[in-house]
Amino acid sequence: MTDIPEETLNGRPQVDQVLEQTLQDLDIPPRPLIIDRIKAEIGSDSRNVKRIGQLISADVSLAAGLIKTANSPYFGLRNRARSAHDALLMLGLDVASRAVATISLRQAFPSNGQLERFWGASAQIAALSGWLAEELPNRRVRTHDAYTYGLFRDCGIAMLLRRFPGYRQTLERANADGVLTFTAVEQQELPTDHAMVGCLLAQDWWLPEEICLAIRHHHDQSAIDLFESGLPAASRYLVAISQTAEHLVQQLTGGSRTQEWSKLGGSCLRLLKLAETDLGDLHEGAEEVLRTVD
Amino acid sequence: MSDPVRHPSSEEALRRRFDTIPAANPTLDPVTGFLSRTAGLQAAAVLIADVGARQARLCAIWLDIDRFRQVNESFGHAAGDGVIARIAERIRSAIGLPCALLRMGGDEFVVLAAVRDRSAATQLARQLLVEIRLPLTVDELLIRPSASIGIALEQVGEEPAAWLERADRAMLEAKRRGGNRLALSGDELLTGRLGVQLAREELAIESTLHAALENGGLRLHFQPIVGRDGRVEAVEALMRCYAGGHQIAPARFIPVAEKTGLIIRLGEWSLLEGARCAARLRARGTPTTMAINVSRAQLLSPRFMPALHAALVCADVPARLIELELTESLFLDLSPTVQANLRSAREVGVGLAIDDFGTGYSCLANLKDLSASKLKLDRSFIAALPGDRRSFAVVRSMTRLGQELGMAVVAEGVENHSQLAALTEAGVDASQGFHHARPMPEHALLKWMARRAEK
Repeated sequence: MTDIPEETLNGRPQVDQVLEQTLQDLDIPPRPLIIDRIKAEIGSDSRNVKRIGQLISADVSLAAGLIKTANSPYFGLRNRARSAHDALLMLGLDVASRAVATISLRQAFPSNGQLERFWGASAQIAALSGWLAEELPNRRVRTHDAYTYGLFRDCGIAMLLRRFPGYRQTLERANADGVLTFTAVEQQELPTDHAMVGCLLAQDWWLPEEICLAIRHHHDQSAIDLFESGLPAASRYLVAISQTAEHLVQQLTGGSRTQEWSKLGGSCLRLLKLAETDLGDLHEGAEEVLRTVD
Repeated sequence: MSDPVRHPSSEEALRRRFDTIPAANPTLDPVTGFLSRTAGLQAAAVLIADVGARQARLCAIWLDIDRFRQVNESFGHAAGDGVIARIAERIRSAIGLPCALLRMGGDEFVVLAAVRDRSAATQLARQLLVEIRLPLTVDELLIRPSASIGIALEQVGEEPAAWLERADRAMLEAKRRGGNRLALSGDELLTGRLGVQLAREELAIESTLHAALENGGLRLHFQPIVGRDGRVEAVEALMRCYAGGHQIAPARFIPVAEKTGLIIRLGEWSLLEGARCAARLRARGTPTTMAINVSRAQLLSPRFMPALHAALVCADVPARLIELELTESLFLDLSPTVQANLRSAREVGVGLAIDDFGTGYSCLANLKDLSASKLKLDRSFIAALPGDRRSFAVVRSMTRLGQELGMAVVAEGVENHSQLAALTEAGVDASQGFHHARPMPEHALLKWMARRAEK
């Protein structure tokens, strides 16, 4: 390949202070700079984990979140992380950058009561998705991918809630509609839908293709059912696992009821090779997982 | 010519020769039981030497499974190995001839067989294509694999490596033509060595683009478009792709992205990134139109408008600050989806610019039918300025015509002051080029704009 050594990505001063300030002033969930820095380190010949550890440590809540992730039972790691640096070494830069994305996601949206509940539900779905990825026979997706996907799947909703004052009512209608797809209801009232918004955000945060595509198609039944849909199988499994996780959360907590399971549940179970009755067997384990989500 | 292979003794001799190969070469691929690449090359050498009497011809059939990368990514490498093993089994059972089977690595196989002639080799390869196309279940999902096959008949005195390379090259030609087909060595003469090199490079660029989308290897650079009064009228966002710390030229990765459909993801990425930069410029008190390039593949999708809106919503930027740059042919595209998308974009207030006007099949008469707000004259007209009076006349007429049709006219590729002076005389509304500034990262653009504001 012809190389144009015009500007290298590594060690570049991509963002100066003025720009950084502008980024912070804006009402856009920006891609956290730390993610770009980790990605740049990953691509660099002289990876410097220590430097990334220092960058992360500068943000106390980010560091705490990362340490918590590394010590979480998901990863089943024997050692305990005591610093961001430990956590980076234990998780590896790739997984760590995704963990940083999940931690930053919530920070990117200023919280209010409504959003808090929304993120709470997302956290439950994510935790159960990660657990299901591990628990279900013939594992297809990695635990942390399922977890990351669970958190990001509906981030478009948080965005649309912020932009469109009437979106909450749109959501209610979409949740209640037993015939039209969720996104079709949204598109009746908005120029876009949360699946598309979420996909663009996830792509912007450099999440893997299968996660971005799974977000884009997560209300699309044919995408789950058909290999010919062109969706990578990993994406289809992510969709099915998180939909099942959401259904379990609703069964166990009696939380907000949606029509999604009646529309997509059959396809999900088929793909995951589960019977509706198998779900009961998962209740006990799932409850255990939900207790660990705060 | 008689039919030597049918001759029992020669066939017998060949069979024996083929039979001895695995025993003599213990390095078998564990997944397929085929010979490994090195062992395969040795086998080829032995076979070439043996058929010295030339009673039959040797052919090399090079198979590459189409889109195998997708299988691996979708199902994981263990399942991918399973698919490879089953396809290998199909190859083994499809060939009723003495042969040597090689796995060249990944999803590439080579069959070395003795055949009567060229048509027998083709017949054999066809048989393989048919067998490989049979549906296959992976994790209870039905997939239909296909292969690209290249055939090369061995030539007298040829080195084994050169022989196999010809088969490989033919395979790449088959792949270049869309896969699921075969090509004979010689068919690729038109593209030749250069063609092979290009096909390989395309594969490399494709995987680089995939990686860039996941590893933060994409950036937008921005080139200002400066009005007659010296003010920055707009900024064009240009995509940059980095791999291993180096930049890959857009002229090289954009065509590959278009060919593979990756352009849709790249295009959506730049919509959001460009819209965000527009939002930041606005927040700094310098609202500037952001011109973003859009491809045909994007406009062919019914999801184009939701994606455009998603970008506007995420960036929280008004539509009027976004302008889409399209080639002229897109405005004339007959696809109803393209036309509907362009109409909707206009309706929400997004500007439309005709990019590179004057190249391709441009026709001034078409201009009246194009519903664009801006006309960008191709750099080729500007390059000859100010010396060439004819170019000047063309630029001046196109500018007038564009303006009379209600478009702002921008000249691309302005490199020096005398060109700019000529363009001002020709009446263009704005210009873009190295004379003003090269494309630059956002932080450099901000500094450039700040310096300009001070003057």
